[in-house]
Amino acid sequence: MRRLLSMVCVVVCAIGGGLLAHGSAADAISDRAHNLHFSSIVLDTHDDTTQRFFSKGFDLGKRNPDGHIDIPRMREGGMNAIFFSIWIDGRIMGPPAVQKALDQIDAVHENVRKFSKDMTFARTAEEVRHAHTQGKIAALMGVEGGHMIGNDIRMVRVFGDLGVRYMTLSHFYNDEWADSSTDKPAHNGLTDYGKEIVREMNRQGIMVDISHVSDKTFYDALEVSKAPLIASHSSCRALCDHVRDMSDEMIKALAAKGGVIQINYEKSFIDQDYKNAYEKATGGAGVVGALSQAIKECGDDQECTARAAIALERKMTEEGKLPHVSWERIVDHIDHAVKLVGAAHVGLGSDFDGASMPEGMEDCSKLPKITEALVRKGYSDGDIRKILGENTLHLMEQVERVSHELQAQN
Amino acid sequence: MRPREMLRNFFIATGGLIATGGLCAFAGALMTATPRADDISARARKLHFASIVVDTHDDTTQRFLDGDFDLGARSATGSIDIPRMKEGGLGAIFFSIWIPSKITGPEAVKHAIDQIDAVRQQVRRHPQDIVLVTTAAEVREARKQGKIAALMGVEGGHMIASDLGVLRSYAALGVRNMTLTHSGNDEWADSSTDTAVHNGLTDFGEDVVREMNRLGVMVDISHVSDKTFYDALAVSKAPLIASHSSCRAICDAKRNMTDQMIKDLAAKGGVIQINYHVGFLSEEFMNADKNPEIMKAIADEVQKRCGNKEGCQLIEGDRITREYVQQGKLPRVEYTKIIEHIDHAVKLVGADHVGLGSDFDGANMPFGMEDATKLPQITEALLRKGYSEDDVRKILGENTLRVMSEVERVSRELNSAR
Repeated sequence: MRRLLSMVCVVVCAIGGGLLAHGSAADAISDRAHNLHFSSIVLDTHDDTTQRFFSKGFDLGKRNPDGHIDIPRMREGGMNAIFFSIWIDGRIMGPPAVQKALDQIDAVHENVRKFSKDMTFARTAEEVRHAHTQGKIAALMGVEGGHMIGNDIRMVRVFGDLGVRYMTLSHFYNDEWADSSTDKPAHNGLTDYGKEIVREMNRQGIMVDISHVSDKTFYDALEVSKAPLIASHSSCRALCDHVRDMSDEMIKALAAKGGVIQINYEKSFIDQDYKNAYEKATGGAGVVGALSQAIKECGDDQECTARAAIALERKMTEEGKLPHVSWERIVDHIDHAVKLVGAAHVGLGSDFDGASMPEGMEDCSKLPKITEALVRKGYSDGDIRKILGENTLHLMEQVERVSHELQAQN
Repeated sequence: MRPREMLRNFFIATGGLIATGGLCAFAGALMTATPRADDISARARKLHFASIVVDTHDDTTQRFLDGDFDLGARSATGSIDIPRMKEGGLGAIFFSIWIPSKITGPEAVKHAIDQIDAVRQQVRRHPQDIVLVTTAAEVREARKQGKIAALMGVEGGHMIASDLGVLRSYAALGVRNMTLTHSGNDEWADSSTDTAVHNGLTDFGEDVVREMNRLGVMVDISHVSDKTFYDALAVSKAPLIASHSSCRAICDAKRNMTDQMIKDLAAKGGVIQINYHVGFLSEEFMNADKNPEIMKAIADEVQKRCGNKEGCQLIEGDRITREYVQQGKLPRVEYTKIIEHIDHAVKLVGADHVGLGSDFDGANMPFGMEDATKLPQITEALLRKGYSEDDVRKILGENTLRVMSEVERVSRELNSAR
C-alpha cells in the first residue's frame, strides 16, 4: 500500500509540476478524497443514538452541541446509511427486555417518520442504494444483544418483521444461550438453542453479528451460520489486546466465509496504551466496571449514564491518567485488517454515541478524514468505497439471498 | 317494513342493472306472490359467495398456541379453519389477539406479541389460501386472488401496557383494531364487566384513542363500559366499531349495546358487528347460564379436559355448553336469534351500520351456527326477510370495509397534518 501511495504522489506531483505550488498536490488528494467520500455510500453499522431519542433535549433534526450523531452532522460527514442500535442493559431479560426493545424499535421508526425529508427506513441493500439515489439517509436497525429476544426464538421473527437487520448474539453479559467476551463462559459458546437462533436469523435475513461475543461463541456461530457474519463494531486484537476485539485468526476465519469486520472507534479498543491506562485507572474493572458504576448512579437514564462516562473519561484524561488517542488509530486498524484479509472484508462500525471517540473523530462530521487517510495510504477508490459501505451492502445482499433460499425450501 | 323494503330494493337493483347474476332470480321472485324456497336458496348462495364476508372477531388464535393446530386442516372441533372458511364463504377474518385482563405490563406485551407472531406464522404456512392484510383495498385484492384475508385485532387495551410505543409496534406488525378493554378495566379505560374506576376513559386513554386514529387502528368499543364508549365516541376522529357486540334491547347483557348507543355509534359512521354468543343473543339463556351450579360444573369439566390451554378451554366450553342444552339443562338458542339482532339494529339505524362479529372459537354458538360453514344461512335468512342484495352485502362485509377505508383516510390526514 505504501508503494501505491508513492506512485500516486509521483503522478500527482508530475501533473502539478512547475505549474502549482507544493501544497496543491495535497489539495488534489483532498479533492479526490472529498469527491470519493461524498459520492460513496458511507454506511456505519453501529450507532447508539437510539438511546438519545428518549431524552427530551435531543433532536435528531438539529445540530446538537453534544453527542456524535444528528442529521446536520451526518450530512456534513457524508454518512448516508446508519444502523441505529437497539440496546438495553444485558441484565434486563425476559418480557421487560422485549418491551424495552420494542420501545426502541418504535423510537427509531418514529424518528425516521418525523424526519422523512432527510431519512428513509431501509431493510435491504437495494433500499439503501435507493435512498442514496434520492439523497436521503438510509436508517437501519440492529439489536445489540440476544437477551432482548427474552429467550424466545419467535422474537427473532418479530424483530425481523419490524425491520431489524442484525442482531449481536450477546452484549456485555452472557445471555441464556450465548457467552459474551466480557463475562465468565457459561455455555461453552452457543447452546443448541443458540444455534437454532442463528439458523432462524439466517432464515429471516437478519445478519448474525459477533461483536461482543466470546471467541468460542464466534466460532460456533461461524460454523452454524449459512450466511456470512459481521462484527458490527469490533477492532483488531493484534493492535489492541482487548477481548472485545478480534484476533487475526478470527478475522481470517470471518473473512474466509465472506464476513466483514466493521472497525470500532472506541479508544480502549483501538489503542493499547489507552486500554492499559484505563484499566489501571478504573482498578481493572475496565469499560464494564465504569459503565456499571454509572448505571448504578443514573438508574434507567441512559443519557445520564453516557454523560457520567464521558465526564469521568475527560477528567481522567485531563489528570494525565489516560493518554491522548488520535483518530489515526482507526485507520491503523482498518489497514491492519485489510493487510490481513483484503479490502473486501473491512467496514466501519463507529460506536458513535456509545463510546469514547479518539481525538479528531469527535463526531460523524469528521468521517471524510478516514477516506482521505486511506487515499493517502494509497488505497484505490474501489477499495475505499468497499470499506466505506459497499462491503456491508454486498454482505446484506448475500444474507438476503440465503434468507430467500431457506424460505423457499420450506 | 318487509314488503316496502323489497319494493324499494327492486328499484335500486334494476337501477344498477349491471350488478349481479342474482338479479334475474330476484326479479323472478318478485313476480310470484310466494317465491319458491329453492329460488331464494339459490339466490342467497350466489349472493353469499359473490360477497366479501368479513368477520371482525374470531378467537381461533388461542388454538395456534396450544400445540400443533393447523389452520389449513379441517378440524373436528371449534368453528374456524381454512377448509370451513372456504365452505362458508368467509372472505376476511380478524384474528383476535387476547390474553386475560389480569395479565398486565411486559408479560402482557410478550404474550400479545407471541399471538401476533402465531397469526403471522399460520398465514405464512398457507400462502396459497390466506394472506395477511391491513387495508380495505388489500382485503379486496385478496378476494380477487381467491384468498382469504387475515387481519388482526387486539382484544383488550391492557396488552399495550400503557405504552404508546407498544401500540405502534402492534400496528407495525399489522394490528388493525383494538378493543379498549377486555373483561376487566385496564389502566386507562373502564370495562362493562368490572367496577368503574376511571369514569370512562382517562386522559391517557384519550391519547390512546387519538394515537389509534393516527395509526389507522380501528377503535373497538366492544367490552367497554357505556361511559368509555361515549368518551371514545367524543374523542375519536374516525368511526368506531363494536367488533362483537349485540343488542341490549333483545338481551340485556352489559356486553351488548343499548339502542341509544347503537344510534350514536351509527350517527358517527360506526358499525356494530353482531356477536353470536348465545349468552348475548338470548336473555333466557343468559339468565339460565348464571346458575352457579351449572357455571361451576362447566368450569370444572373444561378444566378437566383442557388444563391451562386457553384455546382448548374456549372450544370445550362451547362443546360442554352444547351438551348441557341437549340434556335440557340450558335453553336451546337457534341461529335465527342472530338474525333478530341484525334486524333489530338495521331497523334502528339502517343497513349501513351493522356487520358480523361472530366470536367463533371464543363463545357458545347457537344451534345452526356451529362453525363458519353455516354462514350462508345468515344471507339466506336476510333475503327471506326481504333485505335487498345490496343491504345484505353491506351487512356481510361492505360496512366494515367502509369503516376501514374511512379509518385509513383519517390516518392519512392526521399523519400529513403533523
